[in-house]
Amino acid sequence: MSDKLKQIIKKQTQKENENLDHADDVVQLVGFIIGDEEYAVPILSIQEIIKPFPWTRVPQVPKYVIGVFNMRGAVIPLIDLRLKFGLSPKKHNEDTRFIVMRDGDDIAGFVIDRLTMAIRIKNSNIGPAPDTASGDDTAIDGVGKQADKIITILKVKKLLQRDF
Amino acid sequence: MDEFQEILQDFLVESFELIEQLDQDLVELETRPDDLELLNRIFRVAHTVKGASSFLNFDVLTHLTHHMEDVLNKARHGELRITPNIMDVILESIDLMKALLHTIRDTSSDDGIDVSGCVVRLDKCTGGKGDIETPAVKPAAAAKEVVGEVEVVEEESTKESSSADEPDYDNMGAEELEAEIERLLQQRMAEDKAKRASKQSAACDDAKDEESDEEEYEPALNVPVAVTPARRPASLRDDSDSSDDARAASPAKKQSSVEQTIRVDVKRLDHLMNLIGELVLAKNRLIKINDDVEERYEGEGFLEELNQVVSIVSIVTTDLQIAVMKTRMLPIGKVFNKFPRMIRDLSRELNKKIELEIFGEDTELDKSIVEEIGDPLVHIIRNSCDHGIEIPEIRLEQGKSETGTIKLKAYNEGNQIVIQIDDDGKGLDVEMLKRKSLEKGLITEKEADNMSDKEAFGLIFKPGFSTATVVTNVSGRGVGMDVVKTNIEKVNGIIDIDSEIGIGTSMKLKIPLTLAIIQALLVGVQEEQYAIPLASVLETVRISKDEVYTVEGRSVMRLREDVLSLVHIGDIFEVERILDSSEYAYVVVLGLGTSKLGLIVDTLVGQEEIVIKSLGDFLKGIEGIAGATIRGDGGVTLIVDVVAIMDMAKHVKATALIDTTSDAAMLTHEKTKASDYAVMIVDDSKTDRMIMRKALEPLGITLVEAGDGQEALSILKQGDHNFDAMLVDIEMPRMDGYSLATEIKKYNRYKNLPLIAVTSRTGKADRMRGVESGMVEYITKPYSADYLMSVVQRNINFRSEFLK
Repeated sequence: MSDKLKQIIKKQTQKENENLDHADDVVQLVGFIIGDEEYAVPILSIQEIIKPFPWTRVPQVPKYVIGVFNMRGAVIPLIDLRLKFGLSPKKHNEDTRFIVMRDGDDIAGFVIDRLTMAIRIKNSNIGPAPDTASGDDTAIDGVGKQADKIITILKVKKLLQRDF
Repeated sequence: MDEFQEILQDFLVESFELIEQLDQDLVELETRPDDLELLNRIFRVAHTVKGASSFLNFDVLTHLTHHMEDVLNKARHGELRITPNIMDVILESIDLMKALLHTIRDTSSDDGIDVSGCVVRLDKCTGGKGDIETPAVKPAAAAKEVVGEVEVVEEESTKESSSADEPDYDNMGAEELEAEIERLLQQRMAEDKAKRASKQSAACDDAKDEESDEEEYEPALNVPVAVTPARRPASLRDDSDSSDDARAASPAKKQSSVEQTIRVDVKRLDHLMNLIGELVLAKNRLIKINDDVEERYEGEGFLEELNQVVSIVSIVTTDLQIAVMKTRMLPIGKVFNKFPRMIRDLSRELNKKIELEIFGEDTELDKSIVEEIGDPLVHIIRNSCDHGIEIPEIRLEQGKSETGTIKLKAYNEGNQIVIQIDDDGKGLDVEMLKRKSLEKGLITEKEADNMSDKEAFGLIFKPGFSTATVVTNVSGRGVGMDVVKTNIEKVNGIIDIDSEIGIGTSMKLKIPLTLAIIQALLVGVQEEQYAIPLASVLETVRISKDEVYTVEGRSVMRLREDVLSLVHIGDIFEVERILDSSEYAYVVVLGLGTSKLGLIVDTLVGQEEIVIKSLGDFLKGIEGIAGATIRGDGGVTLIVDVVAIMDMAKHVKATALIDTTSDAAMLTHEKTKASDYAVMIVDDSKTDRMIMRKALEPLGITLVEAGDGQEALSILKQGDHNFDAMLVDIEMPRMDGYSLATEIKKYNRYKNLPLIAVTSRTGKADRMRGVESGMVEYITKPYSADYLMSVVQRNINFRSEFLK
């Protein structure tokens, strides 16, 4: 009886593991363009994507923190990823979006040049960050390989970390 | 184990509540050693704690409380008189008890604190023959104590509710007793569980002290409504001669002020407060929309109705806000309560005679503020005891009464609470303060000379300042008063000191009623707006630029008798100067305690009730910014941190108020081809725009169209094109040509942009207005294409070689 039971349990756990494997296999990302590069962040870390609207400048902060804005009653910092990545500033146009990302209690809006698409990518196709950009300091989580291109996957936690 | 944890939790909550009252009672006891009621109450606390702790197997605590109980019991039966020495021992044991309870709270055990010394002293009080019991208490003894406790309780509570039928404990056998205890305990646990559901996370520091002691004593009775007897009068005034009165009054009071209270989780109140905050924002928005609508549909019938609704909503919102604020209010007595004991200890320690008088302990303050001001008050009072009040001999020499008095007062003053601490000690010596500060290098010689008395008093708040020549246990360790200042400023409060040598010192802490919603003055600088807490604004003045003088590289102005140092808000917040500054500026005079600062702003926008929002973790701690608020139009406005601004102003380099060389933006780009020239056509008629376009296209210049003034302005602001001229129609919806011209001329970089009016208005007055608003040319419709072209060519300095 106990043998039978064990077998059943074994089967069940196997099944569960398979399920897990299956879920684990694919990550869903949202891709976007900053400058000439395509980047992506996990879809679950994105709270919402909104069209640009007015914000308020905040003094005494690095240039890339362009200000704060009001999202349904909450005051949220706005960070220009172009500036953060050392690119020249660019006028907002109709493709510009604010991506509001959240990690635990940390939340911020990020200005991006253009959205590309939601991407499903297999875990096996994600490589580590290049050696030159690894370690705790980097905002790069890994590199996603796709048929025709390479996407840099960003660490949301790192993006939301205050570094000034 | 879970059950044990639950019981433990209840035990701790109850014990802490009991102890809070205990200190007060004990000090009072010293002045009225014969007050049987007081003694009984103190005895019961020791007893309750002992009973419960023995049940929970906290042997050390039981051991200690057992001996306390012995002493108190003797006093209660008149066998022992409470002398100051005995009181010292009792107080010591209470402190130990507190320490034990804290240990229990943190570690769930009462190990690690040695009570034997205190126990021995306690025993001495009872005549030295008190049996020194081992900490291991026999279960039977413990059980009996629990029953004893229950009895006391039931006796008391039957006064209020006669529903309990009391079992006859005296005639019970040991086993019956056990069974009865079991029953009572279970009943209690069941009730506690229910109770806990309603007050789950309300920690022991909550507003519970308002609830009755008695209620906590009633384990097994079903009294549905929390009964609140009067708290003991916290004041010690007239103790000596009116003790009889007080004794007679207190039981009567107990009956009279029976109130109905509900315990509410603070989190719920916070949530409610947040919701109200949202409502206030919505209200502001509604008012703004109402103003807009009023402007647009002037004189229409429905406006009045709308007006009424808006004002009702705004009144109700304000009332609601006040009502919720009140639910968060705690009487300041909660903080004041601990001071009588503190003063007593201090006066014995310092060999001084000090009396504390407390007034206005019923004054209410927001819970979060009550929590913040406790420590600062402790520091101030210690300071008064240590440095303020002189030793009795000196007092007598100076013809003062031997006993020094410290008065602690709390009262409302407008939107603020004032807490005043007066002592009749030696007062602050201005010269001495200055000398000390000089010695310690806190100020320069020059500063000392220019210092007013008030400013000199402020020196005691400097970090690293201590006036005590001898460092005592009580104060003078160089920390303290500066911490006081920081803490008070944290709750947006200010400190005001007044002092006279030989007469005494008076400190006033002025603290806002609440932290979440404040009145603010909104000011504009260039295109940005900032909110300044109105509590720190003394006045606003309009000045012309020649009223600003420069002294040692700093801007100052004369304000009546005083010289006020000035700083431009734009210099502090690194605001880009895009707009041309007008001839006049406004100065917001900020006051914080004794220091003043003039903040130059471009415009005063108005007064508004704002809800303070945090900038979040990412942006916290920005110098000069206290937070943000959301405005009626949904935009975010930053709130100025006045304290920080005062400090920053000292380091900010003042840029000249009059900008002469700010036209760097006007870099004229070299034109290499015809399309480098850009002209904007502003006209609401598409046909007219087309006609102009057709007329100018042959030049090959870049043409941009805008349908009205607003659109034109935003195109201009985007800065995608560097315009060389603008063709402006006068009659346009939203923003007409005149207003557009006026707006454009506000910007430095567009000051020299040629504006050409193209209109069918031909009146002389119209032309005049055009010139006034800054138009350089005036073309009347209809016009020939050639004429338009030539006017434009002339105004943009079109180089003829680009002509095909």
